[in-house]
Amino acid sequence: MTKILLRDKLDDCLTRWHAAGFDVVGPVRKNNISQYATVKKAGELDLGIILPDRTLKDLFFPQTEPMFSYRISKQKIDTEEYLPPGRQRIIFGARACDASAMAIDDPLFGWDYQDTYWFKRRNETVIVTIACTAADEFCMCTSLKLAPDSTQGSDILLRPLGDNRGWQVEELTDRGREAFSRIEALLEESPAQTAALADVPIKFDLDLCREWLQNPENFESHFWKEISMRCIGCGTCTFLCPTCHCFDFQDEGDTYTGIRRKNWDSCSFALFTMHTSGRNPRSTQSARWRQRIMHKFNYFPGKFNLNSCSGCGRCTRECPVDMGIIETLQEITKLSQ
Amino acid sequence: MSIQEQYRKKAAELLSSGEVKLVIGYGSGSTPDRRRALFARTADDAALFHVDAACDANLSGYLVNEGLLSDKKKIGIFLKPEGIRSVNILAAESQLDPDQIVILGFTEENGTVSGLQGTQASDFTSLMTALKENRTTSEKEQALVDKIEAMTPQERFAFWQAEFEKCIKCYACRQVCPMCYCKRCIVDNNQPQWVHTSSHTLGNFEWNLVRAFHLSGRCVECGGCDRACPVNIPLRLINRRMANEVLDAFDHFSGMNQNQEPVLASFKKDDPETFIL
Ligand code: SF4
Ligand code: SF4
Ligand code: SF4
Ligand code: SF4
Repeated sequence: MTKILLRDKLDDCLTRWHAAGFDVVGPVRKNNISQYATVKKAGELDLGIILPDRTLKDLFFPQTEPMFSYRISKQKIDTEEYLPPGRQRIIFGARACDASAMAIDDPLFGWDYQDTYWFKRRNETVIVTIACTAADEFCMCTSLKLAPDSTQGSDILLRPLGDNRGWQVEELTDRGREAFSRIEALLEESPAQTAALADVPIKFDLDLCREWLQNPENFESHFWKEISMRCIGCGTCTFLCPTCHCFDFQDEGDTYTGIRRKNWDSCSFALFTMHTSGRNPRSTQSARWRQRIMHKFNYFPGKFNLNSCSGCGRCTRECPVDMGIIETLQEITKLSQ
Repeated sequence: MSIQEQYRKKAAELLSSGEVKLVIGYGSGSTPDRRRALFARTADDAALFHVDAACDANLSGYLVNEGLLSDKKKIGIFLKPEGIRSVNILAAESQLDPDQIVILGFTEENGTVSGLQGTQASDFTSLMTALKENRTTSEKEQALVDKIEAMTPQERFAFWQAEFEKCIKCYACRQVCPMCYCKRCIVDNNQPQWVHTSSHTLGNFEWNLVRAFHLSGRCVECGGCDRACPVNIPLRLINRRMANEVLDAFDHFSGMNQNQEPVLASFKKDDPETFIL
């Protein structure tokens, strides 16, 4: 006997969570794009999809974020700091790859400096993940040693029931337990069987790839040029990646008054490494692609013992020229065999 | 022989005879319905080319990749009519020498591809005239266009605001576009900062307006940006509207030939002056 949450109780859950002061966020399809967005009613949630087009990082690390405003006068400099609005949130229906991605980025944002914006939102959010029963040809969590029911980054894991009437509830953290105590009365005890998880075949050998990437001889390999020849250097694969976290600061306004903002940036852009002198140490797209792969599968694991990839597959699914990391890592696996 | 077989053979001949150093075409993609750019250097590589209805990308943008044409050697490339128009514009704007480009032209209609006669951009002049005379829009697309045209300015603004709010400034629309070859795009300039780099509604509007204007009379409606946009902003609607404007006002159909003057950078005495008070 385990605890289950029935689908038809979802509206009542939302009412109780709203009453307890939580915003409820989940996958929503609107305006021809699916993303995690705030909902009022359960009917707005689009839980039947494989995964949303946009990622969970949008909710913790938005594409543009005001940090403070400044006003400089002869006598003094006034600043006003902006902090994310302090709202408790429940994300209902995250995917395991997206939730894992948040756990992957936690050490990054808390390494030499605690990123206030990231951790404030992380601490105010309960992530309720639904394990996947379907995957597409780009899903690759298993290649990253994760799974459709990985628990990293999640506060609650829901396993779909075989009859699709609801989910088996697995409470993972105190924050999750606290949120679910609000809907305790709506949960049931049941012996119902859970549905089979999505079958996600392993696409490359991560350990072999890491070994190859660690070998300094391969840094200048012709492979990088060949594999990235068609890359057009856009921001699609980085901006739609739940773990990519690079940003840039921009002062909007003039010398005397304005706003400092933190904006997404991408290692795929030529401008990313451009010096003020005009010299660009990563002057070719192949050097930029190498950086992306090296960072995710060599440097990041070297520093944090985690791959900076949760296998959501968006980089490959959405790349306008059909690149993405799957092929690159498959080719590296072949090279190192 | 199917058009695919013919073109594989032709590409192989071009490469083995040494007439071209490279052929840019379409190879298989990561799923059966995807095609991707394939760069063939040997006759063996040429056997991997596909020519079918799934070959939708306009590959001409690769021609202006830094240094690719600077050795004066020729390059073969698979192009649909829109791609040939792009080559004409790139030639007119001094970005390439059309004599270096050997075209393997093809066209697609209702899922069937057929080859085009000619190998030089200048061989396709009558095709360009025909395209200009017969601009077509699917019924579904026309319905959407009509819906937007029928809106009040406020409604139309709200429509585009909702669309541009989705923009993440990934610049895939720019990077994929053969006409967006500027070494430094105006949005990447910061001395002065003409355009907000932030991806907020204002910054997104600014970017999309800059894109629309800079491509007026230069866009060939290959649809590359529209397909590339990861958040599905219907960029083709903007492109079509701007193409209609320059056609109506200046009788300008972009990429007709290699001598065409850029419509927004040239002046004729009989240009309409409807907007000058
Ligand atoms: S791999 Fe694809 S999505 Fe990533 S930068 Fe290159 S073209 Fe853009
Ligand atoms: S690198 Fe690709 S597969 Fe990995 S998390 Fe990022 S978008 Fe997903
Ligand atoms: S603006 Fe879009 S449709 Fe027009 S030429 Fe560029 S990529 Fe093609
Ligand atoms: S491709 Fe779409 S999201 Fe990216 S910059 Fe262009 S309009 Fe914006």
